[in-house]
Amino acid sequence: MNKLAKRLRALWHRQELDRDLEDEMAFHLAMSEQSGRDPMAARRRLGNAAALKESCRDLWAFAALEAWWQDLRYALRTLKNNPLVTATAIVALGLGIGANTTIFTVVNSALSFDMGVDHIERIVTLTPGEGLENAGPASSPQFDILNLRSQVKTVESLAAYRYSAVNVSDAHALPERFWRVQMTPSGWAMVRQKPQLGRGFGPDDERADAPPVVMLSHKVWDQRYGADPAIVGKAVRIDDVDHVVVGVMPSGAQFPEDTDLWTPLTLRDLANSSILRDLLVFGRLADGATMAAAQSEVDGVARRAIAGKVNGPAVRVRPFLEMIGVYNMRPILIAMVFAVGFVLLIVCADVANLLLARAAARSREISIRIAIGAGRARIVRQLLVESVLLSAAGGIAGWLVALAGLRWFDNLSQQGHTPSWVHFSMDARSFAYLAAISIGAGILFGLAPALQLAKVDVIGAIKDGGRGAEGPRGRKLAGALVGFQMALCVILLAAGGLMIHSTVNLYSMPLSIDPSNVLTMRLGLPDTKYASEDSVRSFYQHLKTELASVPGAKSVAITSNLPVGGWSDLRGEVEGTGSNYVGEIDVLTVDGGYFAALEAHLLRGRMFDPTESGSASQVVVSESFAQKFWPAQEPLGKRLRVLGRQGPKPWLEVVGVAPEIQQNLMSPLGRMPLVYLSYDANPARSAFVIARTAVPPATLTDSFRRIVQSLDENLPAQNVLPLGDRIDQSRLNVTAFSKLFAIFAAIALVLAWVGLYAVVAHAVSRRTQEIGIRMAMGGTHRDIFGLVVKQGMRQVIVGFIAGLPLAILVTRILSRGLVGVSPSDPATYAGVVLVLGMAGLLGCAIPARRAVRVDPLSALRHE
Amino acid sequence: MLVLKTLARGPMHGWGIAQSIQEISEDILRVEEGSLYPALHRMQLDGLIDAEWGQSENNRRAKFYQLTARGRKVLADETDHWRQLARAIALVMETA
Repeated sequence: MNKLAKRLRALWHRQELDRDLEDEMAFHLAMSEQSGRDPMAARRRLGNAAALKESCRDLWAFAALEAWWQDLRYALRTLKNNPLVTATAIVALGLGIGANTTIFTVVNSALSFDMGVDHIERIVTLTPGEGLENAGPASSPQFDILNLRSQVKTVESLAAYRYSAVNVSDAHALPERFWRVQMTPSGWAMVRQKPQLGRGFGPDDERADAPPVVMLSHKVWDQRYGADPAIVGKAVRIDDVDHVVVGVMPSGAQFPEDTDLWTPLTLRDLANSSILRDLLVFGRLADGATMAAAQSEVDGVARRAIAGKVNGPAVRVRPFLEMIGVYNMRPILIAMVFAVGFVLLIVCADVANLLLARAAARSREISIRIAIGAGRARIVRQLLVESVLLSAAGGIAGWLVALAGLRWFDNLSQQGHTPSWVHFSMDARSFAYLAAISIGAGILFGLAPALQLAKVDVIGAIKDGGRGAEGPRGRKLAGALVGFQMALCVILLAAGGLMIHSTVNLYSMPLSIDPSNVLTMRLGLPDTKYASEDSVRSFYQHLKTELASVPGAKSVAITSNLPVGGWSDLRGEVEGTGSNYVGEIDVLTVDGGYFAALEAHLLRGRMFDPTESGSASQVVVSESFAQKFWPAQEPLGKRLRVLGRQGPKPWLEVVGVAPEIQQNLMSPLGRMPLVYLSYDANPARSAFVIARTAVPPATLTDSFRRIVQSLDENLPAQNVLPLGDRIDQSRLNVTAFSKLFAIFAAIALVLAWVGLYAVVAHAVSRRTQEIGIRMAMGGTHRDIFGLVVKQGMRQVIVGFIAGLPLAILVTRILSRGLVGVSPSDPATYAGVVLVLGMAGLLGCAIPARRAVRVDPLSALRHE
Repeated sequence: MLVLKTLARGPMHGWGIAQSIQEISEDILRVEEGSLYPALHRMQLDGLIDAEWGQSENNRRAKFYQLTARGRKVLADETDHWRQLARAIALVMETA
């Protein structure tokens, strides 16, 4: 430390140190002369005074540091003297680094799964396997969570929960519909966060006679109850039952799902529901237990509890994370990081080419530096400092780009649903990544040109006057870089093409309806107030009449699922020619006005009768359902029935055939055989209301809300939205990804094109003289044009040869995000070849045209 | 070590150190003047010796070096070490 202080002082008194050294040497020489030596001999004894002083001075200085400082200053000067090169490189690098940082930040936070649970990857869910599904309702497992807990050793703290929407109504604000998790208190053993106010749930809350209690999420506490610090102990009305608030969770806590409220799942609730079917059972893998061990143990326990034969696994043990949509998007998110990384590599190759071209001009300068004694290692270091400085500047530009990019993502996420742990802001890890790629990129694109320059032929370069010093190796390197860019470009174009193809497919799916001018909303009637089916029916009947009287509303209907909004699967039996089909059928429950409100016309037959008794024995099926079960037969009059848990329901007669309305967004091109049951005969408390409007649907939102309020002041109208908006929202995933991949592909194409163009143009200007000679010797324009184009296209073709197989391999990762396109879709690849081929030809043709216009005479005098 | 020992006799400038080593060793050891100064500066940085500007015997400005406490300790250690080594070498050479 003392040493450091001395050196720092020496640094400050640099001139004093120099003078002292000077004096010391002079004194020595004087003494030496005094003792009788002649001055020359004295100097010889002492040796090279300059070198001696230098080595003493080095002792006092931070030699290594100062050399770096020198390099840095020199690099700054060089970059300043080439403003065009510098600016181009910084802009390109800024875009590349910024895009990378943005995507890294988004993906990193999306895959963090920070739900306030430690080692969330060790949490597993227990879901019914095919064995249990096929065993039928008669053989429901005779076990509950308690004996499961006592028998299973590989999964600890087994808990169960269910997820439902509830209505909260009290004096604080208008009634609202919230998401509630009902969880056994044991589930809280897995959650790291503690309530910020009050207490969590304990074993007492699990008792069947426990008083109803609730924990609020930070969001609900803040927004509905104005962050009331005295909320604990107050009552909140949930589905018309008073619940005492016992705690408030901190913001960000949301396990096990995006949740507004938590209530305990009591033993009474457990007794009233079928485990595995109505509840989601989950727990933490015991230390040392593997997924496979848990699977076989749990399955064994379940099999013993089931009376009857079981084919296939009765229970499936799966990672909890699989339930989260983002988890399943993981490959595509990681693919995105790679895609944007490829863009940066293309940028690097471009900048490397830029520096290579400049290297030719700098070979004289470097040669002189080597000649007067700079070591080659020092030269490489100097050049690397230059390129890292360049990329650091690019990094700063990239930071700005990333800020803008993250804002864009933020806007995008407002339109869709984003898990609460995804933050669109830069954290320490993003900054570390930004710094790492900035420096890494600098070394990457700087190394090749630097090594190239350091190997310069000193004598040749100085004699040559700095022209034509670019050796064949430099040209080969430039060519290789372009080939590399082209290969990466092929991969990105293929990915972008596949994603665009998916989007096109998504928008061309058979909706069979016109989603514009349809307003939708969701209602959920609490079972406390609407206990009987009649009360539910009459509420909705009333509501329909009221809504239909709103000016601008044309017709109103009720449905269990909106178009592209899923379906429910039930077990059913369908009458066939030989034997009957027994198994899963996909069902929507709609009222008599559904197709009319969607302005979809039945293909055959008619709609259910509008009354309960009339429609109780009627059913409508989709066209594909009719084709699947009764090919080339008259579907009208055929029969099917639902197999409920308590046994088969009455037979239903097909009265109509509906057009295909897409319910499944995951395979929007597939046709899905559907059964439409009558809502009047099967009323449900939770349903969607749809209304065909004569005016833009958003204008009726408020009047719809008001009408719901007037019928039941405690009932919230949830998500009052035009159908078109909902469909767009559900497409958002694919469209957002394809937008990103298309942007990457476009940037890659432009950058790779610039790289190709620059190299070909450079080659032409270097060969002006040669071209002049060729023309003078009788070479035609065609020959010259062909010569240039052939040389350029060679790199494009190398890119194809290397890139196409790679692309086919890499795009497999995307398959989950693709809609109706195979990852090796020939049309897409043909498009890639066409686009890149055209771009390549253009990139070669422009310099080639210039080559053709070379005037042989002036070219020869070019020297 | 030799430089430190020489300085143990009192402050001295570079030329003096060189001369004194040469004299005491009866001209057997001749200090390489070119490497003396870098060595002195290194020792100064390491805190073994201190330097001070003063008047030389012929009234010129000269840099006088002198031992620090730390330098004395290092000298003692080195001397011990040297004695052991010298004894060991002597033993080997005389037992032949």
